[in-house]
Amino acid sequence: MDSHLLGWVAVGLYVAAEAYTILSLVRTRVPALPGPLLIGAGLALQFLDLELSARAMHSVPYKTIGGSMSLFGWMLGLSYLALIFRHRERAVGPFLIPFVILFSTLGLLLPQAAPAVRPDTRGTMFALHVTFAILGYAAFTFSFVLSLLYLIQNRQLRKVRTGLLFSRLPALDSIGGMIRTSVSIGLTVLGASVVLGVIWAERVWGTLPDAKLGAAILTLAVYGFLLWKDRRGWVGERVALLSILGFALILFSYTFVNFYFSAEHAFK
Amino acid sequence: MSISQEARLSLLGWSFRGAGVTVREGVAFTADEIREALTRLSKGGVISEGVIVSTCHRSEIYSFAADDSARGALTRFVSEWRGLDQAELEGSCFYRAGEDAVRHLFRVAAGLDSLALGESEVLGQVRQALSLARESGTTRAVMHRLFESAVAAGKRVRSETEIARHPLSIPSIGFELAMKVFGDLSKHRVLVIGAGETGSLFARHAVEAGVREPVIVNRTFSRAEELAASIRGRAAPWDDLVREVPLADVVVSATSSPVHLVTRAIVEAAMRERRGRPMMLLDLAVPRDIAPDVQDVYNVYSYSIDDLEDVAKENQSRRAREVPVAEKIVQEELETYLAWLGNLSVVPTVTQWRRRLEELRDLELERAPASEREKLKGLLDAFAARILFEPLNRLKGEDDPARKLDRVEAVRHLFDLDKEP
Repeated sequence: MDSHLLGWVAVGLYVAAEAYTILSLVRTRVPALPGPLLIGAGLALQFLDLELSARAMHSVPYKTIGGSMSLFGWMLGLSYLALIFRHRERAVGPFLIPFVILFSTLGLLLPQAAPAVRPDTRGTMFALHVTFAILGYAAFTFSFVLSLLYLIQNRQLRKVRTGLLFSRLPALDSIGGMIRTSVSIGLTVLGASVVLGVIWAERVWGTLPDAKLGAAILTLAVYGFLLWKDRRGWVGERVALLSILGFALILFSYTFVNFYFSAEHAFK
Repeated sequence: MSISQEARLSLLGWSFRGAGVTVREGVAFTADEIREALTRLSKGGVISEGVIVSTCHRSEIYSFAADDSARGALTRFVSEWRGLDQAELEGSCFYRAGEDAVRHLFRVAAGLDSLALGESEVLGQVRQALSLARESGTTRAVMHRLFESAVAAGKRVRSETEIARHPLSIPSIGFELAMKVFGDLSKHRVLVIGAGETGSLFARHAVEAGVREPVIVNRTFSRAEELAASIRGRAAPWDDLVREVPLADVVVSATSSPVHLVTRAIVEAAMRERRGRPMMLLDLAVPRDIAPDVQDVYNVYSYSIDDLEDVAKENQSRRAREVPVAEKIVQEELETYLAWLGNLSVVPTVTQWRRRLEELRDLELERAPASEREKLKGLLDAFAARILFEPLNRLKGEDDPARKLDRVEAVRHLFDLDKEP
């Protein structure tokens, strides 16, 4: 199935979910359920597509740029469903689903041909390390978008601007709760990924790399500090800004550190 | 499309647009008075079907009448019953008939004729008016359908436009802002400083918004207790004000104090005690009860009465921008209703009724041997003519226009004449 038909159908379902959530934002009396159902159906189909790719390359499909993007898009979709079921707040859908669409589409458009697999990257521990890292970054991506929404809504409240966006965006308390959930998910799985990565690197390379590990630990520290301060009453704008800083660190790690300081550990 | 000529809907009303408050008070009806008025109007032969819509801003009598004479009869009735000057009533009333009356009712239900554009209460009042008329036995199928259609138009306007979405009252705006910070207010605490008119209004609104046990603080403790008792709240002594502030997520202040009651120092101390959790302060007093510089404290959202009034003005404009779309929906619903009503004319109904019987006849004839069909056709036609003779005579000869419409509607329903061919 080289055409990734299932993947494209999944993207179509995500687009339909986006259209539906925009409709339900404008017309608040339409039922909420079809949006998550469309996302759920898309996730099931995209999983099958990823499964087919995995079977073809005998590995979790993160070894190609296209595969890793698809996996990232799928993880975003999964995180979105987790947020929706945890917080029952559909108004964020139109702002989060585009990221699912974007990365899932990029995954289908970018090269899917697998390079020669390095023997040292075989095995369950390495697969879990990468998969958890991708899930963690997906959760942090959403915490970043939600933080922007928090700042927008906060500004509207401060300036007493009560237009369409104000009336449609959720309450600050609700957005703050979703930021907390997504950061908690991200912190847990990225933490697990780092631990697995360190054990794996010790076993395979015999040393602890590297600048990228340093960036990951710094990222964990920023998000850990965020949750700690959040529990101690630092709720609000500062938490949102800290979450944005954490995401900037992730981007820094993915670009600058990845390409210039991390030869063995580079994700290309 | 013109409304059926057999019976014309007529509307006689007094509203804030043409009648002063004295007249409106005189013609305002309670639920019991509406029942009594409808019964008396019906028994006195003034109307055969009728519904009375009575709200703070309007009293309207909808009835079916053969001509415009209903106007005089109804005005006389109201004048005699309520002891009001008939000339004054006639001078301040408005009268609509036929399609204009239907359109007016639909616009009323949609909130397009309200003082507060798009207000929602009127839809419930229209629904209640129908319910009272039904209890009084003064509605049948046509009037019922008219009011059901008006309610449907009202619902559509509210769900498909923004006309009812932006609050206009100051308490609603205050609590909308609070809900955008805290979400569900049932889990949050509200402190109301001042048990005067504005404080009471906000305290009651807080309860409606889901707040449990609002705390009332007032210089005269007995007034705080009185208000707290009426809303299942809690009264706190004036001296406890500073202790109560940190416990509240929303503080509403409406006193006539000449000095600031809630200062920046009090708020900063409260925020330390709250460990930074957000707090909203609504200052409805002039001069201010809450120091303006509290808005610089982290996670404090502070609004003055001017801020809330600005939002009210903006919301009024937002609602006004929705009027063209709302009017279009009203027009669509009006056309649907009038199309249904137009079908209730006697002549087309009788024609369709005959055609339906002919279809049934032909179906039966197909099952008979071909040689006998002609003979059977004559027999069945004669039988159908006999069957129809009396009902058609009664239908055509009905003097009461509303009852005539009602019977035509019954025939259409029983013989399924409205189904698509």
